[in-house]
Amino acid sequence: MDISVDFAGLKLANPVFTASGTSGYADELADFMDVNALGGFITKSITRKPRKGNPTPRIVETDSGMLNAIGWANIGLDRFVEEKLGILGNMSAAVFVNVAGASIGDYVSVVERLAGEEAIAGFELNVSCPNVEQGGISFGTDAGQVAEVTSAVKKVSGGKVLMVKLSPCVTDISVTARAAVEAGADALSLINTFTAMVIDIERREPVLANRTGGLSGPAIRPIAVYLVNKVYNEVAKKKGIPILGMGGIRTASDAIEFMIAGASAVGVGTWNFVEPDCAVKIVEGIKKYCADNKKKSVKELTGSLK
Amino acid sequence: MTDNGAGSTKGVYEAVVRSNKEIGQRFYRLGLEFSGAGGETFAEARPGQFAQLDLSGAPLPSAGAIPEGLADAARRGIILRRPFSFCDVVRKDRKTQVEILYCVVGPASLRMKGLSGGDRVSVIGPLGRSFSVAEKKRYALLVAGGMGAGPLLYLAKVLTGESSKMEVVVFAGARTREVLPFRRPLDEISRQLGFSLGEFAEYGVKSQVATDDGTAGYEGLVTDCFSEWLGEKNLPARDTIVYACGPEAMLAQVADIARDKNIDCEVSMERRMACGIGLCQSCAVECKVEGSNESVYKLCCEDGPVFDSKEVILSS
Ligand SMILES: Cc1cc2nc3c(=O)[nH]c(=O)nc-3n(C[C@H](O)[C@H](O)[C@H](O)COP(=O)(O)OP(=O)(O)OC[C@H]3O[C@@H](n4cnc5c(N)ncnc54)[C@H](O)[C@@H]3O)c2cc1C
Ligand SMILES: Cc1cc2nc3c(=O)[nH]c(=O)nc-3n(C[C@H](O)[C@H](O)[C@H](O)COP(=O)(O)O)c2cc1C
Ligand code: FES
Repeated sequence: MDISVDFAGLKLANPVFTASGTSGYADELADFMDVNALGGFITKSITRKPRKGNPTPRIVETDSGMLNAIGWANIGLDRFVEEKLGILGNMSAAVFVNVAGASIGDYVSVVERLAGEEAIAGFELNVSCPNVEQGGISFGTDAGQVAEVTSAVKKVSGGKVLMVKLSPCVTDISVTARAAVEAGADALSLINTFTAMVIDIERREPVLANRTGGLSGPAIRPIAVYLVNKVYNEVAKKKGIPILGMGGIRTASDAIEFMIAGASAVGVGTWNFVEPDCAVKIVEGIKKYCADNKKKSVKELTGSLK
Repeated sequence: MTDNGAGSTKGVYEAVVRSNKEIGQRFYRLGLEFSGAGGETFAEARPGQFAQLDLSGAPLPSAGAIPEGLADAARRGIILRRPFSFCDVVRKDRKTQVEILYCVVGPASLRMKGLSGGDRVSVIGPLGRSFSVAEKKRYALLVAGGMGAGPLLYLAKVLTGESSKMEVVVFAGARTREVLPFRRPLDEISRQLGFSLGEFAEYGVKSQVATDDGTAGYEGLVTDCFSEWLGEKNLPARDTIVYACGPEAMLAQVADIARDKNIDCEVSMERRMACGIGLCQSCAVECKVEGSNESVYKLCCEDGPVFDSKEVILSS
């Protein structure tokens, strides 16, 4: 069964991505699965300068989910180019570099440096990370700033696919979605994590050293499905912009739910930690579902919600 | 299950529970059996390495069997795997038996207690860096705090097996006698000869026990017991190595003692881990950068859990 998809002009072997920050730089995942079985791969957030990240504890588990406050720990643009581009270039999956920054200039300089690299199919702008002091979520919750950073990056992205990753921590996600699309986004990815807190009642302190962290995992899935459906109906469908849907996906059934809601492709995050080869199983499950339901193309699923 | 080039083939394997015995207040010993590829892989598991166990499907003990204070924890659902190291690994009849010494502290370890013979568990491993087996050294001093005794038990076995000229001495500490994770009885003669723990005596390894309240062995901290012993012995620093596993404050003390005497020291660190395989960056351990005041974060799951004590910044 052919489940290839067109995603913002890219021909993907299948609609399954691994999400940013949950699959390293691909080499770590390669010990557990054939990374070439993926439709797309998204790096963890890359910043202009290397970042050490936050002190520990950086994670805490909740019922059906987890909070993380990693703090954009990454090797920085220069080492990324030197050490990781080679590996990523050998992948058959479409490689997206997730870009983060504290200022528009930061985003622009990372994208400008990578725009000419053949190994890269596109960029995912992280304007929605809750775990750093400046940038991140403060960009992501203000439609004006989302538009500004998107159009600034668009100018230097060298024609590569520009995907903007939306924060769910807003009153109306369609407002930021629309701002991104009108400023030139070729695709939208949603959702990033929800800002949350877990308290140690003995010490009366937050468990995370960063105090707050982003909630991910199965706990957020129904909200993510709802938000994907909302953005699909209110923005993406009319503009012909594809959505990469994510939030709590564990299985093919979960992934298909997102596609019915309006996603053209799906991302697997937290579940890679539990089942490092789950993305491959999801690819197989989608194939089976399409065959069983006599779909000619996986595209027929997108937005098929009655 | 691909070869990572370093000779070990970490992967996701299914294990069958062969035993799960209570050996003291809230601590247990779980026996997992691996066959096929998992058996071959885990036969190579080294002391200090660990595995990520998926306990989400394991049954909770019945309400009456839930230890005091853990009733609320028992209500919590779990999704993430949990890291555990090995206290023994035995290859027999083309199968590998892996033993884990564990303490019941929360929702996952409660479920671990609920496992019984024949149950199946998904295990990712073996993971991380092991203790180095320093063949050129003559004396190995093992310092354990609480559950830290597990991996050191396996280390004692490997050290005495692979380098029989090595003299190994263990210092095991706990708050009180009840929570010392050992129970194999010893006869009086062995005890007089300096063997306090039957589990280590089996490998011909002498051991000393310290409890905070003096209910067994030395009264006080295991680090004081170790430091006094070391002060009396005057071992040649170059021929000696210290291995430690336990709470971080204890590791910090052991590292200080070893540094003062110029003795090499390896410590096994613990961090909360979401993945255990280098994907999530949750398990950061702050390390010194040689020749600078800067520090970097390394990953406990990949660069550790065993680190050179001179490299890590330990908080006490
Ligand atoms: C490399 C490694 C090897 C380990 N080997 C063993 C072993 O051989 N035997 C054993 O009993 N335990 C071992 N542990 C610890 C074990 O992983 C935890 O006890 C277990 O995850 C607890 O899960 P839980 O759901 O029962 O309790 P949780 O609710 O997750 O934790 C109970 C309490 O312990 C604390 N805690 C949990 N995990 C950690 C951690 N990693 N570091 C510091 N504090 C923590 C929490 O703050 C909480 O207060 C190891 C940990 C690591 C990182
Ligand atoms: C440990 C961890 C680290 C993450 N790091 C990043 C990151 O660096 N950049 C980013 O845009 N999103 C990051 N995310 C968010 C995920 O990419 C994803 O949007 C979110 O977790 C929801 O999907 P999930 O429920 O499948 O995990 C991270 C998530 C987790 C759990
Ligand atoms: S536990 Fe995920 S990187 Fe170490």
